Amino acid sequence: MEKRIRVALAGNANVGKSVIFNQLTGLHQHIGNWPGKTVEKAEGELHFKGYTIEIIDLPGIYSLSTFSLEELISREYIINERPDVVINVVDASVLERNLFFTLQLMELEIPLIIALNQVDVAERKGIKIDYRRLEEILGVPTVPTIAIRGKGIHELLFKVIEGFEKGFRKPAPIKYGSEIETRIKMLEEALRGAGLRYPLRWAAIKILEGDEEVIKEVRRVRPEALTLAEKMAKEIEEIHGHPCPTVITSERYEVAGKIAREVQRILPTIKLPLSDKIDYLTTHKVYGYIIMAITILVTFYAVFGLGNFLSEVLTNVLYGYETIFVGILGSGLLRDLIWGGVIEGVIATITIALPYIVPFYLILYALEDSGYLARIAFLMDAFMHKIGLHGKAFIPLILGYGCNVPACLGCRIMETERERLIAGFLSTLIPCAARSVVILGLVGKYLGVEWALYLYVVDLAIVFIFGRIAFKVLPGEAMALIMEMPDYKTPHLKTVIKQTLFRLEEFLKIAFPVIVISGLIIKAMDLLNVLYIVSKIMSPVTVVWLGLPEILGVLLILGVLRKELTLILLATLLGSQNLHEHLTPLQMLTFSLIVMLYVPCVATIATCIKEFGWKKAMLIAVIEVFFAILLGGLFYRALMALEIFR
Amino acid sequence: MEIPLTELKEGETGVITRIEIGFGRGWRWGRGIRKRLADMGLTPGTKVTIIRSAPLNGPIEAHVRGYKLAIGRDIAERIFVEVQR
Repeated sequence: MEKRIRVALAGNANVGKSVIFNQLTGLHQHIGNWPGKTVEKAEGELHFKGYTIEIIDLPGIYSLSTFSLEELISREYIINERPDVVINVVDASVLERNLFFTLQLMELEIPLIIALNQVDVAERKGIKIDYRRLEEILGVPTVPTIAIRGKGIHELLFKVIEGFEKGFRKPAPIKYGSEIETRIKMLEEALRGAGLRYPLRWAAIKILEGDEEVIKEVRRVRPEALTLAEKMAKEIEEIHGHPCPTVITSERYEVAGKIAREVQRILPTIKLPLSDKIDYLTTHKVYGYIIMAITILVTFYAVFGLGNFLSEVLTNVLYGYETIFVGILGSGLLRDLIWGGVIEGVIATITIALPYIVPFYLILYALEDSGYLARIAFLMDAFMHKIGLHGKAFIPLILGYGCNVPACLGCRIMETERERLIAGFLSTLIPCAARSVVILGLVGKYLGVEWALYLYVVDLAIVFIFGRIAFKVLPGEAMALIMEMPDYKTPHLKTVIKQTLFRLEEFLKIAFPVIVISGLIIKAMDLLNVLYIVSKIMSPVTVVWLGLPEILGVLLILGVLRKELTLILLATLLGSQNLHEHLTPLQMLTFSLIVMLYVPCVATIATCIKEFGWKKAMLIAVIEVFFAILLGGLFYRALMALEIFR
Repeated sequence: MEIPLTELKEGETGVITRIEIGFGRGWRWGRGIRKRLADMGLTPGTKVTIIRSAPLNGPIEAHVRGYKLAIGRDIAERIFVEVQR
């Protein structure tokens, strides 16, 4: 019979966990999402000494409470799936905080192995750790590793096999102060036989800590234990003068700190590490912003420069097949539907997705892995606060200027669903590259760049206002920036490439079906001449309210596919490249404003559906359409009244 | 002397005395943030050294338990410390 061992990797963020995962599994891995959740799930497999070892990489977290989705998912996985062993990746250079997490894993009474990672980084910082002593104190097998160089990976596997064959020892949970300990014991008794799926002691501690998930379950089976826990929490608060959850966390840290001090020796370092020098510059009140601006500009330039070039090459290559297709399909209705509806959609996806999204993600992940994104968030926090978000949200919003799809996906760096939704909503209001093509090609070209700039300013104001509104309206706790500033390091190329490929795959899976289907529908409408009827029906809005030529209604529908199409088709529909002969300046402005604001393209809507669910995605789309039309009409009337273009 | 974390100057160290979040003037945030702060190592009695603060009333960056942590100003104002000189 095949022998399988199930291993979970757990640990803080920025400790090299995904590098260890990549070293262990190599190419045999699959990255996806946790069912129904927008949290990445990486699984892999390897064969070692006749065993098949299944590895799951849990999200990087600092605690096993319920602060973030990631924490909850990790906890539920360990409790429900009971892996044979958890490899806890510990950053040797930040031992105390990492051990705080280790202690929580021990409380879950699951077999553990510690991978003491980045021992080289720790040594450069002057920290030397006696890992044998650590092993002794915790009663957990410990292997020092340097994951990026593959050191210690083999030893880690040996420990897994050894433990599996000899039977893992369950680690002994830590002891709290006696006033807490006696109460835990009493709660354990009160919970005994209640049929909870948690270890008894852990459940007792969690209800003392006021953990909502555990409380929910206890309320169903043993409500009287909660009354007792509440009373005890009050007593502990009275003894210590701080809320009970704080007291328990505090004691855990106390133990972690004591162990850390006992096993590590800290030698004074004379040289300021390079990382600190870069840190100083990149967070400086002047240089920091200059470096940030340069980084963003270079990123955009690289992405669009490279992207435009690749896009052109790909387009030429792919359209080269058109004659072959026409040869096969003839020139009837079928050809129009298949070529015009399906294949052009596929080409559009390939020529947008590959050239722009790949370089975008490569750079983004390299920046993230290096630690720089945290500095950007730090510098932009004050500004982002004004729109009801915090520093981290700046990153998805900036991404939005490139393409709204990665922007929406990038919202995952926010901790809570509430923040993800606000950031995702706002990022769909950011004019992406395609919309910029329209704004610059219409308003910028015929009315002057300053008018195009005004539009961008208006857009920022709208983002600001909607941000404030969403912040007020959406339920949930206000958030704040509490973020580790990881040391700078060289990005691990393999990990960065893998993440990029995963994102690409994910994008294609979302975008292909939506683009193909909507392309087909619109093409069919076009062939049946329905589009013109629709724009007739729309004329009360387009002509009467917005003051636009009736024909533009068609464009607004087609623009849902790809916004830049609106400009390209405008020339076709009007039958002239000299757009100013057919449109008044005011019409150009109104039209660009609406294109900028009304629903993002189908690919973005599809991404929103995936990230936030049907209801919220549709709500976002509907709000944006109505708002764009409302504002467009008001704008048109205001400028008319002011007689700016007369 | 007890002062908010934001009043510490760069390079100064303080010991956390209390965190006024979830009640009082910190009513806007709930237990989630309080727990998060504790999970990141900000518990009463913890030593915190200010590394820098971001311009324009931005967040502060502090040395806590051997690592660097950025804390939004609004939250940092509600964390009180006893200055150590």
